[in-house]
Amino acid sequence: MMGPGLDTVLLGPLLVEFPFEATYVRSIISVSLYVSLIAVALSTLVSVPVAVLVGLSDFRGKGVLTSVINTGMGFPSVVVGLAVLFLVSNQGPLGALDLVFTKEAMVLSQFVLATPPVTAISLAAVTGVDRGVRDAAHALGGTRVDTALVVVKQARYGVATAVLAGFGRAISEVGSVLIVGGNIAGADGVSKTRTLTTAIQLEARQGRYGTAMVLGAVLVGLVLVVNAVVVRLGGRGVGG
Amino acid sequence: MFRLEGVSVSSGAETVLADVSVAVGTGEVLAVIGPSGVGKTTLLDTLALSTRPDEGVVRFDGTAAWAAGRGTRLGVRRRLGMVFQEANLFDASVRRNVEYGLRVRQSWRERVGGAIRGRLLSNRLVGWLRRLRATVGGDPTAPDGGSAGRSTAVEEALGVVGMADAADRHTASLSGGEAQRVAFARALAYDPDLLLLDEPTSDLDPRNTAVIEEAVATARDSGIGVVLATHDMHQAERVADRVAVLLGNGVVERGPTAQVFEDPAEERTRKFVAGELVY
Amino acid sequence: MEIQRREFLAAAGAGTLAGLAGCSGGSGSGDGGGDRPGVAGETLTLTTTTSTDDTGLLDELHPPFEGMYGVTVDAVAQGTGAALETARAGDSDVVMVHARSLEDEFMREGLGVNRRDLMFNDFVVVGPESDPAGIEGMSSATAAFAAIANASAPFVSRGDNSGTHTKELAIWAQSSAEPGGDWYRETGQGMGQVLNIASEQGGYTLSDRGTYLSQRGEVDLVILVQGPIEGGPDTLANPYGVMAVNPAVHDSVNYDLAMAYIGYLTSPQAQDVISNYEANGKQLFFPRALSEDPDFQQYVPEGWSSSEGR
Repeated sequence: MMGPGLDTVLLGPLLVEFPFEATYVRSIISVSLYVSLIAVALSTLVSVPVAVLVGLSDFRGKGVLTSVINTGMGFPSVVVGLAVLFLVSNQGPLGALDLVFTKEAMVLSQFVLATPPVTAISLAAVTGVDRGVRDAAHALGGTRVDTALVVVKQARYGVATAVLAGFGRAISEVGSVLIVGGNIAGADGVSKTRTLTTAIQLEARQGRYGTAMVLGAVLVGLVLVVNAVVVRLGGRGVGG
Repeated sequence: MFRLEGVSVSSGAETVLADVSVAVGTGEVLAVIGPSGVGKTTLLDTLALSTRPDEGVVRFDGTAAWAAGRGTRLGVRRRLGMVFQEANLFDASVRRNVEYGLRVRQSWRERVGGAIRGRLLSNRLVGWLRRLRATVGGDPTAPDGGSAGRSTAVEEALGVVGMADAADRHTASLSGGEAQRVAFARALAYDPDLLLLDEPTSDLDPRNTAVIEEAVATARDSGIGVVLATHDMHQAERVADRVAVLLGNGVVERGPTAQVFEDPAEERTRKFVAGELVY
Repeated sequence: MEIQRREFLAAAGAGTLAGLAGCSGGSGSGDGGGDRPGVAGETLTLTTTTSTDDTGLLDELHPPFEGMYGVTVDAVAQGTGAALETARAGDSDVVMVHARSLEDEFMREGLGVNRRDLMFNDFVVVGPESDPAGIEGMSSATAAFAAIANASAPFVSRGDNSGTHTKELAIWAQSSAEPGGDWYRETGQGMGQVLNIASEQGGYTLSDRGTYLSQRGEVDLVILVQGPIEGGPDTLANPYGVMAVNPAVHDSVNYDLAMAYIGYLTSPQAQDVISNYEANGKQLFFPRALSEDPDFQQYVPEGWSSSEGR
């Protein structure tokens, strides 16, 4: 029922007002997805083990560490962008890798931004798993790794939420990708480091709020689709 | 033979167990009775190697578990089955729950392979891989032999608690009593040498309690040693071969069930079994 | 006379290279063989101001250059201050900006070499049609700014260290008035956004002509003081320069390609592209690299003389 209506709203301006080619929009979408998905995948690989490690063990300073992680959720993205720029800049520690204004640098900054929320929410999910389930896994002969795996499986909805939150932060963020990526699109209209957010920012900078809104709608649609896919996959994991 | 020798456990400044010794052999049921909060759970946790005693020795077939390496302790733990007051089932199908103990005993290669086969690969691809393995000289039946054996063990264990039809249900759909029966099957599926039961029926109705008690008898008859912690003296009387009475951090009396219940040596025991006690 | 010949030779050289590149491209030997220019496949990083990129000029200028050398130009539009700062760190190979004072500083620091004048357009002072400060038709930008300050009429500033902002501050410095107080609003936003804000608040602002023209239909702002293109004061001129990052300071920069790029931009071919580039039927930029008369000033900081000894 919303199909045709949405098409008109989205595609109408796309075809009529949009000064952009389909290849342009497609290339920015793919840069956005490339950067956000890889960054969040890396974040997940780091965050979930860290969350399990912190969540399942008791040590001095655990409370402090937890609040440090929670604070990280509020990291200003522009500051992260500047820090990453300093790292990858020609004169920075990673200067030799020639990463300034590349997708890889953007992945790095989005990884730094996404990791705290993914860790914090995973940690909350892991901590929320019933102690009895851990005891059961242990009593059934599970090693520590087995117990950790059981906990992650039990916390899978929370972990999925964490991954989505990280993805949401990565794909909707504009400050740091602009700084380290440079918002570059070739003269042929193919994005190199331009994402949906920086493209929106570019439109807004020139006062073209209408086209900025259309790109904004594309971004929201993209986030919805990714959320739906993750929820779907999470739901299928029940057999686990 | 599984035994605690002179075990003391404290929690903070508080002594939970003081100089406790118990032993259980294969094919017998030892009931540990006593009021709530007396340390029955700690005693089972100590036997399960989940709690390390401050003093004393936990010995399995002559090996002092805590003096041995971690690998040895894992081996010992894997001869144990445990059922808690709560079912503590995993949020998954009954089958996945019951086969869990078997799965963690597999090598990582088998487990990862099994997971991939189960989820990602089509049957055709599996067949193709198996033929490939046969041509390079491996045993073509190996992977399937494992999963078929596992499937049988799951069915048998569920059969003992009358849940054979429930293998493909999700645990969320089980009643409390059914869940506890599945938890019992889960601890039985990998054929442990010793079952540790911590108040397994205290939340159950009489019908489900009877099923569990019958399953305890079945386990004993198949040569499994059972330690049953319970505050229900009648249950101890029904299922135990021997009884140890835990009062005030220590075992105050032990002996064959009939003797402890009918002719207790200690006044405190007499009061406790008469329901007059307590603390 | 001599300068002119040298420029001619440089242009001819670029043309020859272009011819070669065209030939080898046509022959289909695409994997960087000996008959391609040595830079083929490389990437030139240009940091530039938002106005050159936003107007679409670079999209017209770059394809011929990219085709000629088989290279890619990554244009990072940052605003003049940030563009120079990025180059200062050695993260770009060439800069194209429009704030002579900042460019001079960059050269004096030894970071920028081989500066060339590239093109120009101009700034205009825009404001609401009601014109509360009464500046319409003034022939002096500094007088207009002073009138705005005296009337305490709203003035919206870029406040972002861009070329436009630098120009605005220079005008304030020359005028008798101090920017500050309630009526003076620094936004830190791009030109398009500043025009929108000025329109909504009934304020004045300084805008480059190109951005104003492309947005004229959407804002309630009119030109009150013209720039030199339409007969206004020279103070409002908006010259663009291009220069390479000094490879002696940052050995990682692609100096060869930067120089090829500067050579291309200042060639008759690219200068034609600039003068033919229009938006909404209006020419936005005026070429300035080619001149029969010598213009030494473009190579050195303003006011520099050889007796400075540096």
